[in-house]
Amino acid sequence: MALLEVQNLTTTFRIGVGTVQAVRGISFHVNEGEFLGIVGESGSGKSVTMLSVMHLLPDYATITADSILFDGVEMTELGAKELRAMHGRDIGMVFQDPMTSLNPLFTVEQQLTEPLKIHLGMKKKEAREKALELLNEVGIPAPEERLRQYPHELSGGMRQRVMIAMALSCAPKMLIADEPTTALDVTIQAQILELLEALKQKSGASVVMITHDLGVIASMCSRIIVMYGGTICEEGSATDIFYDPRHPYTWGLLRSVPKISTGEHRKLIPIPGTPPDMLRPPEGCPFAPRCRHCMRICRTVPPPQTDLGDGHRVACHLMHPCAPKIDRE
Amino acid sequence: MTETAPLLSVRDLRMWFSAEKKDIFAPQAVLKAVDGVSFDIRRGETFGLVGESGCGKTTVGRTVVRLYKPREGRILFGGVDIANLSGKDLAPYRRRMQMIFQDPYASLDPRMTVESIIAEPLKLQHVPKLERIARVWELIDRVGLKRDHLNRYPHEFSGGQRQRIGIARALATRPEFIVCDEPISALDVSIQAQVINMLEEMQEEMHMAYLFISHDLSMVSHISHRVGVMYLGHLVEMADMAELYQHHLHPYTTALMSAVPIADPVKAATTKRIVLQGDVPTPIDPPSGCPFRTRCAYCTKRCSEALPEMKEVSPGHFLACHVMQNA
Repeated sequence: MALLEVQNLTTTFRIGVGTVQAVRGISFHVNEGEFLGIVGESGSGKSVTMLSVMHLLPDYATITADSILFDGVEMTELGAKELRAMHGRDIGMVFQDPMTSLNPLFTVEQQLTEPLKIHLGMKKKEAREKALELLNEVGIPAPEERLRQYPHELSGGMRQRVMIAMALSCAPKMLIADEPTTALDVTIQAQILELLEALKQKSGASVVMITHDLGVIASMCSRIIVMYGGTICEEGSATDIFYDPRHPYTWGLLRSVPKISTGEHRKLIPIPGTPPDMLRPPEGCPFAPRCRHCMRICRTVPPPQTDLGDGHRVACHLMHPCAPKIDRE
Repeated sequence: MTETAPLLSVRDLRMWFSAEKKDIFAPQAVLKAVDGVSFDIRRGETFGLVGESGCGKTTVGRTVVRLYKPREGRILFGGVDIANLSGKDLAPYRRRMQMIFQDPYASLDPRMTVESIIAEPLKLQHVPKLERIARVWELIDRVGLKRDHLNRYPHEFSGGQRQRIGIARALATRPEFIVCDEPISALDVSIQAQVINMLEEMQEEMHMAYLFISHDLSMVSHISHRVGVMYLGHLVEMADMAELYQHHLHPYTTALMSAVPIADPVKAATTKRIVLQGDVPTPIDPPSGCPFRTRCAYCTKRCSEALPEMKEVSPGHFLACHVMQNA
C-alpha cells in the first residue's frame, strides 16, 4: 500500500536571471515499509523533490502539485502550522552534512529532546530518559556524557548518529535520508548503512534514500527511482534497474562507475557532455543532447512513461513499438 | 616501465605540524600527519594512495612535490634528493612535477582568464610569449575545451570543465610526474569517468607517472598499477592492484575493501560487510604500537608495544602488521 502518493509535482525557483525548473511534473509513490532509493546527479532534482513534499523550501520556490497524499492526508491543503506538526513526527529527515544541520549553539540533549517535548508533550526528565535510550539505540557509547556535549565535540559519524536518533525520536512513518553518508569515510559509511538497515527492520518505517552513489543504493534499496533533469527517467525494482535497465541514461550511469576488479582493465565509458541547464531545460527529453540513440522526436517531444509491468516504468521514446530496437550496450 | 631505477623514491618521510594547544601553558602538541612513509614510483606508472580523511595521504602528495618541507626523510626525484632543496635549486624540479587539486572551484584564481591560468607555469619558466600561446592552444584542444573559452573566467565553467583547465595547467610544463589529489571527488558520476579516461589517455601519450590520491577505493583500483593503503600517517600495506585485491592481508585493507559499496544488488547481498567499530584516533595522540590496533579484531599484546615494520611478504607485496606477517 502506498504511504505517500505524489501526483504531478512541479517545483521552480525564481532567481535573478530567470526561473530554475528544478522538478518538472513528476509522479511517484512510496510504499509502506519499503526502502526506496532516488538516484541522480547534482541538479537532477532528487533532493528538491523530497524537500517539496515536506514544504521545506525557501520563499522564492514555487511548489505545485495535483496531489500529495501522505497516509490519507492531502498535504497540499494543509497550512504551515499543520505541516510543521507533521515534520519530525510523521516524517523524519536526515541530511547530508551533519555539521550544518545540527545547531552548534545547543547541546545534544537540548536538540534531541526538543522534538520529544514538542510533538509528544514529554516533560524534561522523561524526554532525557528517552534521549538516552535513543542514543543507545543508534550505537553511541557513553550516552550520558554525549548528551552534555556540543556538535563540534563529536566526530562526523557520531553527529550523523545523533541526526538519525533525532529523526527517529517520534517514531515517524517515513524517514527521508538525503545523502546520509556522502560526507563520511567508507568505514564510517558502512557503520551508518548498517545502522539504518537495522533500524528500518526494527521500526518498519518507510525509508527514502536520496543519493548519487549507485553502490549505496544497490546494497540497501528494494525499489529505485532514477532522476535526470527534473524528471523521472526510470523507475523499478533494484533487479530491474541493475540487471534490466531500459533507459540510456541508466545504462550510461551503470557503465561509468568502476568496479573493484581482479586486474583486467575495463575502460570506463563516460556519458559525453554535461547535465542540462535547468534555467533553460531542453524542450523534449532532458537527456536527448547527451544520448547516443537520440532520434528527431526526442528533441521536441517529452517522452511519455511506458509501463513494462511490475512497476518498471521508463520514460523514453525508444520504448515506442515503432522505435528502433536497441540492445543495451 | 622498463627502467629499473624509480622516478620517485620516498624514504622514511615524516611531516609533522604543530597542533592547536588546549591552553597557552600546555606543551606544544604535534600532529604527526605523515610518520615514516616509504614508497617508489616508476616512470609511466600510477601509484594509488588510499585511506580515510585525516590519514595523511594529501600531506604525502603535497610533501613529495615540495609544497611542504618535510621534517625528516628523503625524496629522491630522478636520483636527486630534493627534500632539503629550496629556491633556485628547486626550480628545475618544479617544472618536472605538477599537481592537480581536489576542488576545481578553489584551485583556479577567479580573477584570471583561462588563458593566463594555463600560461602561468610557462611564464614562471620564462617561456617566450609566442611559444606560450602555441602551447596553450595545443593544451586547450587536448583537454577537450574550445579556443574561444580562453578569454573566459573560471566561474563560467562547470566543475568538470574546471577540472580540465586544472589538468591543462598541470600539463603545461610537460611534467614527468603529477600528483592527482582527489581529482574527481568533487565531480558528478557521469563526469568522473570523462576525467579519469582523459588522465589515462594522457599517461599513455606522454608517459607520465601519477600519484593518485583518493578515498574511493574502486576508482583507485581502476586507475592504479600499484596501491598503498594509509592509516593514521603510516603505510600499512602496499602491492600491485591485482595482488592487493586478491591477497590483501592487513585487517584494515580487508575492512576497507569490504566497506566499498558494490553497484550490484546480488553481489552486495552475498558479500559480508566488515564493519569496523569506532572512529579513527586523532593523529595528535595516536595509539602506541600499531596505529590500527584500537579498531583491529586481531589485536594482540605485541601490537600495543611495537610499531610493525613494513616487510615484503611476497615479491612486491609489503605489509606492516605483526599478526598477518607471521600468519
